[in-house]
Amino acid sequence: MRAFLEQFRGELLKLFARKRTYIGFGAFLGVELIILFLLNLPRVRGAFTHLIEEAGYSADGYLSGLTLAFFVLIWSIFLLGSLYLALVAGDIVGKEVEDGTLRMMLCRPVSRGRILALKLCAVAVYSFALTWFVAITALIVGLLHSGAGGLFVFAPMEKVFALYDFGPGLARYALAVLLLSFSLLTIPAVGFFLSCLDMKPAAATITTLSFFFLDSILRNIPFFESLKPWFITAHMSAWVRVFEYRIPWEHMLEDYAWLLAINATLVVLAAVIFQQRDFKS
Amino acid sequence: MIRFESISKKFRGRPAVADVSFEVARGEIFGLLGHNGAGKSTTFGIALGHVHADAGRVTIRGHAVTTSRADALARVGAIFETPAFYDYLSGWRNLRFFVSLGGSVSRARMEEVIRLVGLEERIHDRVRTYSHGMRQRLALAQALLPDPELVLLDEPTEGLDPAGIHEMRAMIQKLRTEHGMTVILSSHILHEVEQLCDRVAILHRGSLVYCGRWQDAGPGGSRWKIETPDTEKCAAALRGLGLALAPDGTLALPASPDSAAVVAALVAAGVRVAEFRRLVRTLEDFYLERTG
Repeated sequence: MRAFLEQFRGELLKLFARKRTYIGFGAFLGVELIILFLLNLPRVRGAFTHLIEEAGYSADGYLSGLTLAFFVLIWSIFLLGSLYLALVAGDIVGKEVEDGTLRMMLCRPVSRGRILALKLCAVAVYSFALTWFVAITALIVGLLHSGAGGLFVFAPMEKVFALYDFGPGLARYALAVLLLSFSLLTIPAVGFFLSCLDMKPAAATITTLSFFFLDSILRNIPFFESLKPWFITAHMSAWVRVFEYRIPWEHMLEDYAWLLAINATLVVLAAVIFQQRDFKS
Repeated sequence: MIRFESISKKFRGRPAVADVSFEVARGEIFGLLGHNGAGKSTTFGIALGHVHADAGRVTIRGHAVTTSRADALARVGAIFETPAFYDYLSGWRNLRFFVSLGGSVSRARMEEVIRLVGLEERIHDRVRTYSHGMRQRLALAQALLPDPELVLLDEPTEGLDPAGIHEMRAMIQKLRTEHGMTVILSSHILHEVEQLCDRVAILHRGSLVYCGRWQDAGPGGSRWKIETPDTEKCAAALRGLGLALAPDGTLALPASPDSAAVVAALVAAGVRVAEFRRLVRTLEDFYLERTG
């Protein structure tokens, strides 16, 4: 276990010593500031106010930091998150094969399974770190700008419309971020699987992105509503349902069971392929 | 120390290595020779478990690489012609990472090996600032850190300048004489192999065409070059001794008669001998004979 932790530390050091690892963090910070700026435009603010007041509430208490954080998450995390998670996961094995460092690793008395486990844990840590970074910075930026207040949730795709006071809103937000972290793990799982195949790391990244974008596009086509359970992104968006007044745990459990099964299958397939591959110069 | 038993490997139906068997004893410096694509890297790859053999097996210190990888590679170091590192990390961090994959190594041991390869002044710089020679030395440090008994060197002098080649050669000799290591090296520089290796294996199109002491192979006796303006007279005199002068002016001499007797006979026959010298067969000659 101690050896694993030492190796894992090295794997994380490799990951977080690369500048490109931080592109995602920087990009999200930029997006948060842009969304904040746009939400302050009078016409946008007016539309927002109108939406809340239509539901019979006063907009004043709900145009808060918490609301802002929620909208940053729901509008940006999937598209941008996919990009940066796919970038890191697509590289995690493929880039080392391409650069020849994997052969150097395999000169040591370490099993291929161990190497793969280290890399899998590293991308999972990156995925969690990015998700929580976005969630926490969005909340801080929102609170600094708009202060504390109620949470206004509007997610038409998931058919969620809700308003909470600050305390319960913050609790729901924290729970949602936790679940979102698990939802997003499916992106690195696909990227990781493709990275283990005999393909260029850039191809693994692009294929991962294409897969999720296609899945998302198809899911959003109204005629395919009945096929919704077959789209991975539909299961991945289960985290939003935590904002429903009565949380539908049984449905959410089903969604996360699907995601777990998909992730596990991808990891097992990746391991089998990785074990069988020949690594030559 | 290491034994290759009938290893075979095909890539997309094309044989890369076919039924190759040889063994390298403890303390030997062993050369693996062959043209590009002859199967040297595949052989190394199979030994390190990078490549799965279709048939046969490799054992290191009695442990099969495929089934007991950790035991087999526990005391093995390896470097490749183009050593790959994490350019954005320092040499020190690279070494720490690679060594962590095989167990722990003390700081003192790391410093000792870094001194041995002469990288102490630049070890904390990022690898992207290193020259090719420095990368090669870092690769050697990486290979030596776990205190190996066996070192596999795939084209270790590739891309090095003459001083670097000399340094690497001295280092390889030191590894054997001072540390008792077994070394297998592949190289295109036959002069290099000739100077370093006790025995060689020659691979040609994936097959082993020779394995052993190359000096012992081939016909017995020696080969000589005769320079004379009296070629006809010389040939006749040699015929009298039961010898034949080749068209290129060379003479294959069995153990008897000896060279002094031949020269005496030629002089006695009135042949003007301008030059009579022994031809030394180099490893290159031997290699080309075997690989056509």
